[in-house]
Amino acid sequence: MDCCSNRMPLPMNRRALLQTLACGFGYAAFAGLATSAFGDDIATDPLAPRSPHFAPRAKRVIFLCMVGGPSHVDTFDYKPKLATDDGKAFGKGFRQGAKLLASPWKFRQHGESGLWVSDLFPEVAKHADKLCLLRGMKTDVPAHPQAQMKLHTGSFQFVRPSMGAWSLYGLGTANRNLPGFVTINPNGSAQHYGSSFLPAVYQGVPVRASRNNRGNEEPIENIRNTRLGSKAQREQLDLVQKLNRTNLKREEEDAQIEGVIESYELAFRMQAEVPELLDLSSESKATQELYGIGASGATPAGESFARQCLLARRFAEEGVRFTVVSHGGWDTHRNLRDDLEKQCGEIDRPIAGLLADLKKRGMLDDTLVVWGGEFGRTPYAQNGNGRDHNNKGFTIWMAGGGVKGGLSYGSTDDYGIEAVDGAMDIHDWHATVLHLLGLDHEKLTYRHAGRDFRLTDVKGVVNKAILA
Amino acid sequence: MCGGLADDAIATAQSDVPGRPSSAPTHSPLATDVTVTTNAPMPPTSESRAIARPLRTWFVELCAPLLVGGTLVAAVAMAIAFAASSSASTPLDDAMQSEMQDDGDGMMSGASGDAPISERERQFFEKKIRPILVANCYSCHSAEAERIRGDLVLDTRDGWMTGGASGPSIVPGDPDKSVLIQAVRWADEDLAMPPKRKLKDEDIAALEEWVRMGAPDPRVVTTGAIDSEGPALAGKSWDIEIARDFWSFKAPVKPKVPSPANATWSFGDVDRFVLASMEAHDLKPVGDASKRTWIRRVTFDLTGLPPTPEEIEAFEKDKTPTAYERVVDRLLASPAFGERWGRHWLDVARYAESSGKENNVLYPHAWRYRDYVIASFNADKPFDIFLREQIAGDLLPAANPNDRAENLVATAYLAIGPKSHNQQNPRQFYADVVDEQIDTVTQGMLGLTVACARCHDHKFDPIPQADYYAMAGIFASTATQFGTVQSPGNRRASSLIALPDEADVVAGPTMSQQVRTLIERGQERLTAEADEAMKAAEGKPREQVNNFRIAQQRAQVRTLESILERFDENGRPTIENRVTMGALDGQKILEAPILQRGEIDKPLERVPRGFVQVISGEASPSMPSDASGRRELADWIASPSNPLTARVWANRVWLHLFGKGLVPTPDNFGHSGVPPTHPELLDWLAVRLVEGTWSTKALVRELVLSRTYRLDSAHDDKNAEKDPDIVWLWRMPNRRLEAEAIRDAMLAAAGTLDRTPPSGSVINFAEGGLRGDNNRLLQQLLTDNRPLRSVYMPIVRDRVPDSLGVFDFAEPSFVVGDRDETNVATQALYLMNDPGVVGAADAFAARLVHDVPDSRNAEGERIRRAFELTLGRAPSGAEVTASKEFLDDFKKALVADGGKETAGSAGSGDAPRQRRPRERLAERAAERRGDGQGRSSNDPDALAWSAFCQSLFQTAEFRTLN
Repeated sequence: MDCCSNRMPLPMNRRALLQTLACGFGYAAFAGLATSAFGDDIATDPLAPRSPHFAPRAKRVIFLCMVGGPSHVDTFDYKPKLATDDGKAFGKGFRQGAKLLASPWKFRQHGESGLWVSDLFPEVAKHADKLCLLRGMKTDVPAHPQAQMKLHTGSFQFVRPSMGAWSLYGLGTANRNLPGFVTINPNGSAQHYGSSFLPAVYQGVPVRASRNNRGNEEPIENIRNTRLGSKAQREQLDLVQKLNRTNLKREEEDAQIEGVIESYELAFRMQAEVPELLDLSSESKATQELYGIGASGATPAGESFARQCLLARRFAEEGVRFTVVSHGGWDTHRNLRDDLEKQCGEIDRPIAGLLADLKKRGMLDDTLVVWGGEFGRTPYAQNGNGRDHNNKGFTIWMAGGGVKGGLSYGSTDDYGIEAVDGAMDIHDWHATVLHLLGLDHEKLTYRHAGRDFRLTDVKGVVNKAILA
Repeated sequence: MCGGLADDAIATAQSDVPGRPSSAPTHSPLATDVTVTTNAPMPPTSESRAIARPLRTWFVELCAPLLVGGTLVAAVAMAIAFAASSSASTPLDDAMQSEMQDDGDGMMSGASGDAPISERERQFFEKKIRPILVANCYSCHSAEAERIRGDLVLDTRDGWMTGGASGPSIVPGDPDKSVLIQAVRWADEDLAMPPKRKLKDEDIAALEEWVRMGAPDPRVVTTGAIDSEGPALAGKSWDIEIARDFWSFKAPVKPKVPSPANATWSFGDVDRFVLASMEAHDLKPVGDASKRTWIRRVTFDLTGLPPTPEEIEAFEKDKTPTAYERVVDRLLASPAFGERWGRHWLDVARYAESSGKENNVLYPHAWRYRDYVIASFNADKPFDIFLREQIAGDLLPAANPNDRAENLVATAYLAIGPKSHNQQNPRQFYADVVDEQIDTVTQGMLGLTVACARCHDHKFDPIPQADYYAMAGIFASTATQFGTVQSPGNRRASSLIALPDEADVVAGPTMSQQVRTLIERGQERLTAEADEAMKAAEGKPREQVNNFRIAQQRAQVRTLESILERFDENGRPTIENRVTMGALDGQKILEAPILQRGEIDKPLERVPRGFVQVISGEASPSMPSDASGRRELADWIASPSNPLTARVWANRVWLHLFGKGLVPTPDNFGHSGVPPTHPELLDWLAVRLVEGTWSTKALVRELVLSRTYRLDSAHDDKNAEKDPDIVWLWRMPNRRLEAEAIRDAMLAAAGTLDRTPPSGSVINFAEGGLRGDNNRLLQQLLTDNRPLRSVYMPIVRDRVPDSLGVFDFAEPSFVVGDRDETNVATQALYLMNDPGVVGAADAFAARLVHDVPDSRNAEGERIRRAFELTLGRAPSGAEVTASKEFLDDFKKALVADGGKETAGSAGSGDAPRQRRPRERLAERAAERRGDGQGRSSNDPDALAWSAFCQSLFQTAEFRTLN
């Protein structure tokens, strides 16, 4: 395989990009850019919607990111032999003496497809025929920080752009008034939604969705003025724009000044739209209940996750390309029985609600929903009633957006330790997600430090077997 | 979240780690142990107590393959030693070194078994053989051939070795068995070459003689190119002579200064080059910039600050012929010059005060390097010396302890890069450190992307993988001293370098009682939590106890303790704070093996330490057996004969004054970069830089006093049609100010900018990773909003201050020669709503009221003053009118808003909202300063003036340099 790859002469370095993407506003290169030897002299717009490499199956992604490594053998990877061999010493390798731990939960078949799902997900199981289980996932390192970094950026060794940033770079935005890549209550390094060497416009915008939306923190940095009313601020902006236009007249044509002018108008629109978008009170009671918002007995984390899922749908609806929703607490080294039940209880109904809501609105066909964490867990016990990290085999599932529903693809061995069939590593998964968005992961390159980079580095194979 | 450690084992191993920087030797290199190819001794066993503890499967699995010929126990011992050892002065641990050395057959059994050819053989080839091949064979058998015949190429050694359709063409030593010789003899009708005309007998004899000699062929670079990916250039080994035939690899020759047709326009030679290019493209320079425009331009360019209205006025009034020179000399002498130009270098040096990556471990001593860089620019340290110190300061002679300290601090350049401190595999960790060093040094100083050759030969440039590992050997023989405290989140700590006791160095900042209390409370809380957990654990089954969490808490207590050791009870820095990050020679000097596809467990043959062959030539540098070779590397880079170094720096200087480099890709002078627009001018500048004893100030002075720099930025239709991109510099391009300049200019206008350099950095009060509880301390430290110059703000990777990040601050994980210049909505939101910006506007408004006392004409005067302080010019009549109208309309709008609805809260904002901590801090700070901020919120007049001042910050003109 060819690393620096893609000898296709893509002149897409940072500068060139700023100049070659046509269209007008929001982002204008300054003279230094606009006059580069590379090309055009026009103000450019890297967020302009772009045609993907081929017809996309999904127009947007909602990534439900389970931080900590959710157990696959207790949720979506049914291992009957693990149940029958419960308590047996697992004699392999250096884990000698570890005892296999049967899942405390029953698995049942659901839907027409007969997909096996454990009792931890009674609501999600109702959507079994929409799910495409990737049961042969694997990743490099069984440590959270590295595996999380790998999950989001494809590399734990180097600072690299995140999957959302690559997606936005490839597709451009579909809504001028909102960021194209949003991460709700991010949990982990800023690199997980960073743009690294891609232009900063592609980085994810963290949105803090507090429980009641009236907390201490602004949902988006600097999204509201703490002192001025909107009329007063409009007066201020009018003066700024008047001065800018005078300046523009003096300089004759100047794309940079036009860019500045437009950036203020966009900012002002965002100020108006974002709080409205975050205000869930406009959703019907039925919809809120569908997600489990305000459900009795819900934990704060569960309530919060429910709101985030609804928010993700609202962002998706408004054209945000990539939305990440995070849920922590999956690192179940001990107290598996209690902790995992709590974890799954918090997300089951919200996710089922999201799938149902997207379906009802006709959005599931072109919205790719992804559920998964950085790795899975061992079938043998740790601390008696816990499970250790397992990077050699785990499950990620996807739904909607051009994947086959009711499909189980790939498998681990009898106990769920290692992917043995239909194995996919993170690069393969990234390649497949980009493919669903209409992007060829080998062609989506960016010139940096003398060579063309990709999300999938030199690797990645699109899994065509799961395409609907 | 647990770091995935083997809970007990690591925790135990780590509990013995004091985590304090130890004094490292400060003089002659430690290294005495020259490379050997036997197994290296095991590390001391004192750290191997933890072996008996269970280790997590994967941990061992990761380590086991690292061992060649070792036992498992030894592997574990080493693994634990890595995890535990923080006092080793060599980060390239013994084990890693032994790894790199113990694959036994360390001989250079390159894929092609080549011995280096002798000078006599080379001469023979060059004089006799190459001409024959070029004249008679290349047209059908070389990369240049339109169609390669018989799949055979003869323009590289690999070509004939691999051979074509008829197999290998030459059997070295045996002409009779060599197909090539048979062919040129025309012995066989079907294989008679060249097909049309037989070679002269003497040529055939020469070829026979050559084959008999063993066919010594210099047209090869050791590729180490391995199976999966072949070399890039035409898929074969390279002819180094051809490879060297590339503009940037050839030494610059001082070109003849052109004589443009317009003989009167130029002030100096720089202008003659520029004007000649313009004339060649049928362009005419626009007129000169006004004095106001020029002084604003040059003041920002040299100091990053706006000129004061008084400076502008004085300059406008100065009609003497030396008025321009005087301004430039004043600016060059200002300490602000180093703060501005030092920051340019810090972009290239990927300066930051933390490791970034997963656990983002803080580097509390990195600021010494920042100060070193600033001081070096202010002192106009010759640039070659500046580079030399950063690569090998520890190995350079020093006249006195102060110089010694300076040299040591300079090497922090090698230590401040991004790192994965929780990397489990020490070999991977150090391989990545070395890679990062190679990347930074070669891109930053040479404009070469050598790191591309880590896994395979460079795809675009003639840099074989072997060259990468030749350099890797140098850095692998180096002990990078990055410090940090060992903890569950930080497996990789090292010592730091103690500064000489006699040296007169900055001790560091003074810790406030508030910070001290915060640290002590943190310790108390963590200790209590851990104690409680221990107590609760009593009698419980082991598996129900979260040992890892307890170990983590204990480690955090120790980490906090290590901060307090650096400051006495009065908050004054102790001797423990007189340390620096940096580089020393390692205990072992070694040659690095090529790693197949860059994978640490696939070592191939070892390559002698060295540089980039295409630049350094075949004469391999002699590398000392008792030192890393960094000094030799430094000498090579900073040599006047290095074709890249002076060009790269001259280009960077040009870029910062004209907005774009003569080479538009300042970090890439290779094939995938963009060639220079003005190659002769670039060479002229490079040669001049070297002749002028590498003085940056002299170069800057010459450039800013040129006619080219004095050009107006006015548009011109005729020129623009021919050269819309201003490639030929017929006018000055408009540039957007950098983040630092924007922030500093706001504070300068407000009159609150504190130009006194701070002692150290607030990060000096911290330690440990950003994840976990330490966050709290860091949050507190980062809210430090003293109105210092931006270059002194704390630069923590992934936590770059908003005010910088929003305006395209250089990503501190990469070499960034040229920042982006964007105009996006997030910047607008920042300037509209950020409390810091609002605070500056408040202070600015208060200043106006103070400067222009109430009077009948005060409003107009204040507007005028505000324009001068922000835009460096008086407002037009229309602008005065618009401003006055705004002041009225704004107050009406305040009434209309009724103080109820704040902008951006439409639909949901009627409930009282708690203020953000940052706001409260800003207010409190304002109260302390007594500048009226915070109290002004209710006074419509004060609000209106503040909003007006803020709107000037928001204009495109404010952030633009014409």
